[in-house]
Amino acid sequence: MLRLLFAGLIAAVCLAEAAAAQSMRAKADVECKPAGELLHYDCVIKLMNARTSEPLAGVTLMVGADMPSMPMMHNVRPVKAAPGADSGIYQARLVLEMHGDWAVQLNLSGPVRDRVVANIRFDPDRATPVVPSRARPGHKH
Amino acid sequence: MDDYLVGVLSNIGIISFVALSAYLLLLTGEISFGQQAFFAIGAYAAGIATALWGWPLSAALGWGAATAGAAAILVGIPTLRLHGLYFAIATLAFAEMVRLLFELFRYQLTIDGELVGPNGSDGFRGIRYIFENDVSSLQFLVLIYLLLIIALVAFMLLERSRLGVTFRMIGEDATLAELNGVAVARIKVLAAGLAGALAGIGGGLYAHLTTYVEPRIFDVMLGVHSLAYGLIGGLGTALGPLLGVVIDIGLLESVRVFAGYRMIIFGGLVAVLLIVRPRGLLDERAVHYLSRVWRR
Repeated sequence: MLRLLFAGLIAAVCLAEAAAAQSMRAKADVECKPAGELLHYDCVIKLMNARTSEPLAGVTLMVGADMPSMPMMHNVRPVKAAPGADSGIYQARLVLEMHGDWAVQLNLSGPVRDRVVANIRFDPDRATPVVPSRARPGHKH
Repeated sequence: MDDYLVGVLSNIGIISFVALSAYLLLLTGEISFGQQAFFAIGAYAAGIATALWGWPLSAALGWGAATAGAAAILVGIPTLRLHGLYFAIATLAFAEMVRLLFELFRYQLTIDGELVGPNGSDGFRGIRYIFENDVSSLQFLVLIYLLLIIALVAFMLLERSRLGVTFRMIGEDATLAELNGVAVARIKVLAAGLAGALAGIGGGLYAHLTTYVEPRIFDVMLGVHSLAYGLIGGLGTALGPLLGVVIDIGLLESVRVFAGYRMIIFGGLVAVLLIVRPRGLLDERAVHYLSRVWRR
């Protein structure tokens, strides 16, 4: 039984390490604002190639969120972002469980497969990007 | 499989490692509020290994587990002389110390023209092993559960072994165990090391699943939950903490009707169970009863 499990594990690890192709890195600018309903936020996401800063169009983008202070314990169901008018621009509506700091997860699939995380503080009247080192009291310069 | 379901199942699998880690210490009679520190050490160590040093995932997870296990042994040697509340406070203090150290920890290298690595409070981004190596979410989920099954089988074997009996003996009465010739301090340090390594594996998996970690993730909330899972699910079997995780993340979180009220329900559930069933749902009596029913 134990041997079988180890064999399975090794097979899974080998499978995971088989393809070592370098993939394209993505970066994103995320801007969200309250959508009028409680805990609903409309987000505009600008996806770019991390190296060239060219817009990334044609990818399937799923937007989810997790609370850094309670990791894995709040699973916001990811929503599919709709492509906007301009290349590399996507729009999604997030429905959160509470206000506070959230790590917005952008899961890219299709021509580019990547995950980009943006930290955003969602308040009732606005949403602002969070840079943890600048957000702490006593760390203001 | 639906991406959301894969995500929830991955979370359940990963947090089970921390829950099992806290459970192992509960077996020896010690309450630790600090297992999140070893989860953090495992996450950073494994993340650094793949993202900065280019190690394969298997080696990185092993390195994360070894680093976390070694840290747990080093902390265990002085703190396991303490008992009860004093030990609990010492583990909490250590975990906060580790979290604050990660707030200051900077170690970045230029990879493909970009700075990658831990950057203090701003966290550690770019742990992109699964994307660079084309590992799908489903494949990663399989890996999580294979490791979890191995951990569970090891627990089952441990509980039937002399060492497992010694753990429970110490948990029941450490003084009596010592009088019977058990090297209590050594066995407790061993349990702490194994528990740290388990949490470290969970941390390594978490870092690679999310691609991003930051010190805030590893605060006391994670430690309290990991402890609560064992207390809800039960201390009679290693399946107990897993039941606790499934109740919390699988049921309360995933069933949307509880969304927003989950923490209140979870806290209430812990309080009620501590009163009516202090050793959890799957306590020793329930496990004994279920195993008798199973044999019939």
